Amino acid sequence: MTKTDKPPTAGGRSKAAIDPAAATLRKTMGDALVAIGRDRDEHAFALIYNYYAGRIKSFLMGKGMNEDTADELTQEIMLTVWRRAESYDPKKAAASTWLFTIARNRRIDYLRGNSRIEVELDDELLDIRTTESDTQARFVAQEQVADDIDAALAVLPAEQRQVMHLSYFRGMSHGAIANWLDLPIGTVKSRIRLAMQSVKSNLKGEDDVLERDDYLDSE
Amino acid sequence: MSSLQTMSVNHHLTDETIQEYSAGALSVPMETLIACHLTVCAHCRARVERADQIGGFMISASDGVEVSASAADLLQRAKAAGSESSTRSTGPRGDSGNLISGVPRPLGRLLPKPINQLAWKRIAPGIKQFNLDVDTNRKGAFKLLHLTPGATLSDHSHEDRELTYVVRGSYHDEIGHFKTGDIADLDGHHSHKPVIDSKEPCIALIATHSPVRYSGILSRLMQPFVGI
Repeated sequence: MTKTDKPPTAGGRSKAAIDPAAATLRKTMGDALVAIGRDRDEHAFALIYNYYAGRIKSFLMGKGMNEDTADELTQEIMLTVWRRAESYDPKKAAASTWLFTIARNRRIDYLRGNSRIEVELDDELLDIRTTESDTQARFVAQEQVADDIDAALAVLPAEQRQVMHLSYFRGMSHGAIANWLDLPIGTVKSRIRLAMQSVKSNLKGEDDVLERDDYLDSE
Repeated sequence: MSSLQTMSVNHHLTDETIQEYSAGALSVPMETLIACHLTVCAHCRARVERADQIGGFMISASDGVEVSASAADLLQRAKAAGSESSTRSTGPRGDSGNLISGVPRPLGRLLPKPINQLAWKRIAPGIKQFNLDVDTNRKGAFKLLHLTPGATLSDHSHEDRELTYVVRGSYHDEIGHFKTGDIADLDGHHSHKPVIDSKEPCIALIATHSPVRYSGILSRLMQPFVGI
């Protein structure tokens, strides 16, 4: 189950270092999605496909989907990528984030028989404080944030990486992870929380309000 | 309806809930509640985006498996399918109908009528409910509560997560003061006894994974009827 886990990077750095390969990959894939959307660029599509199709199939199989179904859904997802690439905005999200949300939603759709419930962006109640006023600042910061998140995740302790992997890849609930690993649920939740916070704390004051909030998680 | 421009949200989702939502491991009721709060809270929306970014990282950093078709095969299929395929919409759940003023759309879609006209069922003094759960096999609850000012809910806790989204009005309990737009994201550690403190009735949307545990004998006897 930890086959796809990579061990945390060795070394005594106190601060996670930016991985140039990850940054290059992100740039390449982001540019490729933009090229598909703008120019129907088949070469760019092959680039995305060759890197992500096998990984998305593996992601789909993570939640117990059989190989034929996963293969079929992967093709469907990649067709969606080809057709909907115009809607990808590199200033809002990394290509991998965009692909993840498409694959995750399709997996939920298929396994559950109904769609994931999400915010509707034309909702009259939508709180637009940050989406509009801080948009420009966030656009500029996006690349830096993505670098920082990659760096933080690359050095995540193995036990935190394991629960994150089981959650995202296997789609297991925290309760199911606790059963699977034979750990108390509180331990699983605190590992998840630590992992989320290490990503957050690596984002130097990007959003100070985050630190002030009452998360109701005091014991 | 109160202006949402001035709504100030003070209580947010926990990191664990944000993560589990992003991973797609939650039920429809939980997702609905979370989507309601995310509608009125740009701050938590940004946190979900960050969690999705972690999901993207997880896929990028994984090992792929072999796929049967090549990129060229797929493009050929796309071209053969032509325009017929482009009519296939990926949009969710219909158009913009069935919306209720002051109610976030993920909840509005589930309500047949405006809140005041719903077929509320009285379950205890000052407490009415409207059940939203269509899946009777589910162990947890998914319902809208209509709580009269001054009403007090029995002291209770949960084995697992309980989410409460305040649609209208306000209440306070041991944890804090919860107003329109706030979400109370509680796990099994918390026992609380909410008191409605708004002048108007408080409308709260709740979802739980497991049945509630009441601490008083009378409330325990009531529980099968109240079902929350």
